[in-house]
Amino acid sequence: MSGRAAKSGDAVIHLDVLITMANQIGDFFTPYPPGQREEGVRNHLRHYWDPRMRDALLAHVDATGGTGLHAHVLAAAKLLREPGAAKTGYPGPPKA
Amino acid sequence: MPNPRKPDGSVVTTCAYCGVGCGFKAETIRGEIVRMIPWKEGKANHGHACVKGRFAFDYWRHADRVKKPLIRASIAEPWREVTWDHAITHAAAELKRIQAKHGRGSAGAVSSSRCTNEEIYLMQKFARVALRNNNIDNCSRICHSPTQFGLSATLGAGAACQHFDSILQADVILVVGANPTEGHPVFGSLLKRRVRQGASLLVIDPRRTETAESAHCRADVHLALRPGTNVAVLDSLAHVIVTENLHAAKFIAERCHPAEFEQWRALVGDPRYAPEVVGPEAGVDPAEIRRAARIYANGPNSTIYYGLGVTEHSQGSTGVMCLGNLALSCGMLGREGVGVNPLRGQGNVQGGSCLGSWPHMFTGYRFVTDAAVRATFEQDWKLELDPEPGLRLPNMFDAAVAGTFKAIYIQGEDPVQSDPNQNHIVAAMKAMECVIVQDLFLNETAKYAHVFLPGSSSLEKNGTFTNAERRVSMVRKVVPPLAGLEDWEITVRLTNAMGYPLHYDHPAQILDEIARLSPAYQGMSFALIERCGSVQWPCNPQAPEGTEVLHTKTFPRGKANFMLTGYVPTSERTDERFPLLLTTGRILSQYNVGTQTRRTGNVAWYGEDVLDVHRTDADARGIQDGDFVTVTSRYGETRLRARISDKVNPGVVYTTFHFAQSNANAVTSDLNDWATNCPEYKVTAVELVKVPTGKPASSRTPASVRA
Repeated sequence: MSGRAAKSGDAVIHLDVLITMANQIGDFFTPYPPGQREEGVRNHLRHYWDPRMRDALLAHVDATGGTGLHAHVLAAAKLLREPGAAKTGYPGPPKA
Repeated sequence: MPNPRKPDGSVVTTCAYCGVGCGFKAETIRGEIVRMIPWKEGKANHGHACVKGRFAFDYWRHADRVKKPLIRASIAEPWREVTWDHAITHAAAELKRIQAKHGRGSAGAVSSSRCTNEEIYLMQKFARVALRNNNIDNCSRICHSPTQFGLSATLGAGAACQHFDSILQADVILVVGANPTEGHPVFGSLLKRRVRQGASLLVIDPRRTETAESAHCRADVHLALRPGTNVAVLDSLAHVIVTENLHAAKFIAERCHPAEFEQWRALVGDPRYAPEVVGPEAGVDPAEIRRAARIYANGPNSTIYYGLGVTEHSQGSTGVMCLGNLALSCGMLGREGVGVNPLRGQGNVQGGSCLGSWPHMFTGYRFVTDAAVRATFEQDWKLELDPEPGLRLPNMFDAAVAGTFKAIYIQGEDPVQSDPNQNHIVAAMKAMECVIVQDLFLNETAKYAHVFLPGSSSLEKNGTFTNAERRVSMVRKVVPPLAGLEDWEITVRLTNAMGYPLHYDHPAQILDEIARLSPAYQGMSFALIERCGSVQWPCNPQAPEGTEVLHTKTFPRGKANFMLTGYVPTSERTDERFPLLLTTGRILSQYNVGTQTRRTGNVAWYGEDVLDVHRTDADARGIQDGDFVTVTSRYGETRLRARISDKVNPGVVYTTFHFAQSNANAVTSDLNDWATNCPEYKVTAVELVKVPTGKPASSRTPASVRA
């Protein structure tokens, strides 16, 4: 039901902007232990980002293996496709 | 001698300027507003006022007011006056055409904190039921969105913990990145009164503000930190608290998650946050960091007030979390005289945050992705809603530049003047096929608009505002709207023209709907507010006349959360080309981008933005007091008059942004907060060059600027 990019292959926002934003989110969650830090990024991307932004990020992951993304941000992006990724959003510390 | 101008009418209403939300009696003679008298019964101001609320009201009848709707086919053409029906039909047709051509997600809307709760609520409803997406944002995106995020994460509620009067029971007042003496003057006076009574004052701010040092008020500790180092310094305060065992172990055990505290203690207790490490980087004396931490922790009642100097950073949300962590660690929550309190910039920023004008949240800070929450709105509005988050305001502009976002409906905002990296915003505006601006004046953004809908000032409408202490107060119509419609009526008409039927006879019915769908506003009604004078949310069966102090027994999620707040330096750095850091703020007599106050007699007190420069930096560049200087950043350049000042440290320059011609946002960066995209207005690397006498003003964009 949500609007998608106007044409197939178009990124809703330039990819460099999205990568910068994703890595900034990753920087915040870096102090959390492994597992929590990826979940924190996943929760944020899932519940704060327009789906077209997530799609563009995942398309970049598919096309390049995630060039330019921090390792735990890349792992978090991949979690968006895992079962249970759609669980209810929440504020506060990562629940993992 | 009898007063020749004795008023023949008087209406009690709420000031729309800063987040204090003072009550005023607006007095009229034969339908003309002649003066604003501070209302003694106003619970936010108790009869006090500042020079904005008291005197800056004449804008409402300024000759620049637009009184007829305007349209044009392109921004190269002149405006054409049309009827309301014509303008609304045209705007709706354009929005529908663009969505049909470019997709449902290609249009969005922005609401304004200068508008009422009811109008803000209607704007988000417009996006959700008429545009059928969640591309709705509000202007707190660029000021206090990190407050909502950071306080929700730690304390569970994105709002002030206290009522203003609570400060009179504080023993220690910590002010971070705020200058209430100028930005929130009536509250600033209350703060000073408490300091004169003996409370300790701690100030964290790059500038020696009026709050830090004035005739009747002097901070016990002033950490004049380097812009961009808030999180490092706040973590360093926490370092002192945990390493000197100043924390409130009993409070933490009872009201927080102990494991989270231990995780946080390990982070901030790390030697990298010791004052002796942080101090030199932040430009402050380590001993003063230790002294401030000890004073805050010892209380016994310590309270925190903060402003945009915390939020408008790439770590804005982290900075807010730091404040939540600090209060939790010392047990400074849940009673009078303590708490964490954002000082909101505009009259209804808190309302803008509460009422669902977010791309990811409904009213009451509930995720649009939550099917159960969404179902309550779907049932009430009788429509299936978009289950995914929409674009935030900066995302909308980024998407416009990328060619995927084509139409925007802007209520009471002026992004071209107020948003960062002006060149980027202008490029976004030019890339859109339909820009609809609803405002009092043809503002800077209207230069790029295709439809102009003349709005109404807060003196011309009925509704409510929610101030910085969560207080919902009445806004009452003093004079009829000059252009014929209150803002909520315009949005209703546009929503109807888009094909979704809306009907309200009065804003009271909109507040009833808000109450029906929003837990914190559950008990609110015009009748209750009329009876009580004003009501602070949460207002519900447990608190039928509202709540003054939050978190007294429990937090909204039961226990509070410590968040890990590692310091990540901004990527905006000084170098040989841009060796100075520019930071921005406001002055007492003017308000934000000046749309209103510039059109009043208040310009007599402050007629232009100036750039404060330390003598050391001025001397190094041959700049004298009063010289014009070119201010250049990586993003653009502008020209300002320099003022030699000891209020800033060497290496730091400061300006206000009240006047369009000063173009302060031509130089600010588009770096923004990691969580909310709130712009980093407070840190821009710049260089100054003295403008030779006689050379004309110029403002241009370096070739390297990103659009």
